[in-house]
Amino acid sequence: MTSKPVKPLLEIQNLDVTLKNRDSYFKALDDLSFNVLPGEILGLVGESGAGKSMTGSAILGLIEPPLFISKGKIIFKGKRIEENAISVRGSMISMIFQDPLVSLNPLRKIGDQLVETIRTHINIDKAEAITYAKNLLEEVGIDRERFNAYPHTFSGGMRQRVVIALALAPNPSLIIADEPTSALDVSVQALILALLKRLCKERGTSIILITHDMGVIAETTDRVAVLYSGRLSEIGKTSEVLNSPKHPYTQGLIAATPRIDADSLKTKLYQIPGTMPDLSEIPDGCPFHQRCSKSIPKCSENNPPLLYDRASCWLLEKESV
Amino acid sequence: MLLIILRRILQAIMVLLLVALVSFIIFRYVGNPVDNILGQEATLAQRAALEEALGLNQSIYIQYFDFLWKAAQFEFGNSYRGALPVSDLIASRLPATLELAITSAIIGVSLGVILGIYTAINRGSFLSNFILSTSLIGVSLPTFLIGVLLIWIFSVELNWLPSFGRGEVVDLGWWTTGFLTLSGIKSLILPSITLGLYQMTLVMRLTRAEMLEVLKQDYIRLAYSLGLTKKQIYFFHALPNILIPVITIAGLQLGSVIAFAIITETVFQWPGVGLLFINAVYYVDIPVMSAYLLLVGFAFVIINLIVDLTYLLIDPRLRDNQLKLEV
Repeated sequence: MTSKPVKPLLEIQNLDVTLKNRDSYFKALDDLSFNVLPGEILGLVGESGAGKSMTGSAILGLIEPPLFISKGKIIFKGKRIEENAISVRGSMISMIFQDPLVSLNPLRKIGDQLVETIRTHINIDKAEAITYAKNLLEEVGIDRERFNAYPHTFSGGMRQRVVIALALAPNPSLIIADEPTSALDVSVQALILALLKRLCKERGTSIILITHDMGVIAETTDRVAVLYSGRLSEIGKTSEVLNSPKHPYTQGLIAATPRIDADSLKTKLYQIPGTMPDLSEIPDGCPFHQRCSKSIPKCSENNPPLLYDRASCWLLEKESV
Repeated sequence: MLLIILRRILQAIMVLLLVALVSFIIFRYVGNPVDNILGQEATLAQRAALEEALGLNQSIYIQYFDFLWKAAQFEFGNSYRGALPVSDLIASRLPATLELAITSAIIGVSLGVILGIYTAINRGSFLSNFILSTSLIGVSLPTFLIGVLLIWIFSVELNWLPSFGRGEVVDLGWWTTGFLTLSGIKSLILPSITLGLYQMTLVMRLTRAEMLEVLKQDYIRLAYSLGLTKKQIYFFHALPNILIPVITIAGLQLGSVIAFAIITETVFQWPGVGLLFINAVYYVDIPVMSAYLLLVGFAFVIINLIVDLTYLLIDPRLRDNQLKLEV
């Protein structure tokens, strides 16, 4: 049962991100802790506003006032980076954004943008950088002859391939993919995800895949972390979490995922009652208890810690995992 | 691409023809040229002779084409005052105005862009706020007051710079320039600051607003997340994307500075076309006014044509298909 523990690539420990609004403070991320192992794909899932993208921005040091990191550590390869993210930005951790149509500078050739990124991080001359960039384009499935093309001449899926090439260019150890396929056609989504997965497995690059799509989680990730109101609800191996979710919120998310089969035509899709509370209205106790059908009195009194390294829910106290 | 350029040039010519029409109508119909030249006491024979000489008895179309033909050769008839050719008057005044306008535009646009970028990047810092609120004073004070203030400080109190005129100029045959003598350059300083201040404020505020908008774009966030330096992001990613509105406004400003530097030219007794125009209005010197109108129209059209062609240089999307403008 005991395997030798792998040293994590990225550790997030008790991270708080606070929003300052005049004299009030609201926690956008609350005591968030999780690890990313080398080479793994970790999914971050939750409703809009749960803090998924903010976690990504916090890792890269892209949090701007009125938001700030108020507590906790972000440790990358054994070094704390929460104060000094610029040292890893691009070179070791890079990011892919949701909308490829606006992710590339419209006035500059894609080749130019690639060469610029490559030469910022890798000490090679221009001719080598051009060859390197053309090889990268080929790897992501773009004809190397299009090196001098402008972004507007590409489709959305092709532009996301260019963005992936940009993110991979400095050979990072971790890529944060923030909803990389949400803006794309369904037919293109699977291609892009498969490409991202293949390239990262080949290079041993870890991915934090931010999404609200449980289908994407199931297809792509090794482990999954479920966020709710800036807190970690549940974390575990993707197969375990999807097959036997422990947190009622995770159960709700899975039940609310549309399926295409004979039954789905007869039954109505499940909805989690209510909406996620605004930052200023997060209740005492478990933030989910007001929407939870299984809540017990204790839920409204104390916020549950992560139990059995699996889920933050008082119901787990009674049973064993 | 070539088609787009040709179409733009064609548009420019159409606009010029329209301006010429207005200019012609003023020339021909504001007052009667014959009365203006001969006065009330002239005999009918004299009037007929002058009408014949000026071609006023021909059909209106022929007169218009005649006007165009002469204008194309830079001939606008004689001024009613002093009977000098209008073209000579303008040619002797134009260098002064153009040198003033271009100097002030260079000061205004370069400082405006630099300060605009600075205040956008260092948003909320003490210096940015100071620059922004000072610039507000710059726009609120009327030009003549700024001119008079500058004269008071730098000419009267400090006695550093001349308060009027162009100083010594060097005659290059077809152009007189103040750039080549010390007194010419000294004379240029106060009027060009007076004229450039408003442009600087305008360009600065525009640059700042555009910059703040562009810095929110996803491609800037991507550039940050790729670990590019701030210099790379500000100058190679953000700046090119604000150039189109900034160049548009700078071009319009340059046009209006050439055309309407009248107040500044009056305050500093600058011997430019603005002063010429004011005097023409005062004495109802119709040929000068109509030629001036044509000149101003020409300046605006040329500047806008250049601005339009610069768009194509900056934005590849416009080069490929100017109808599909994605924002």
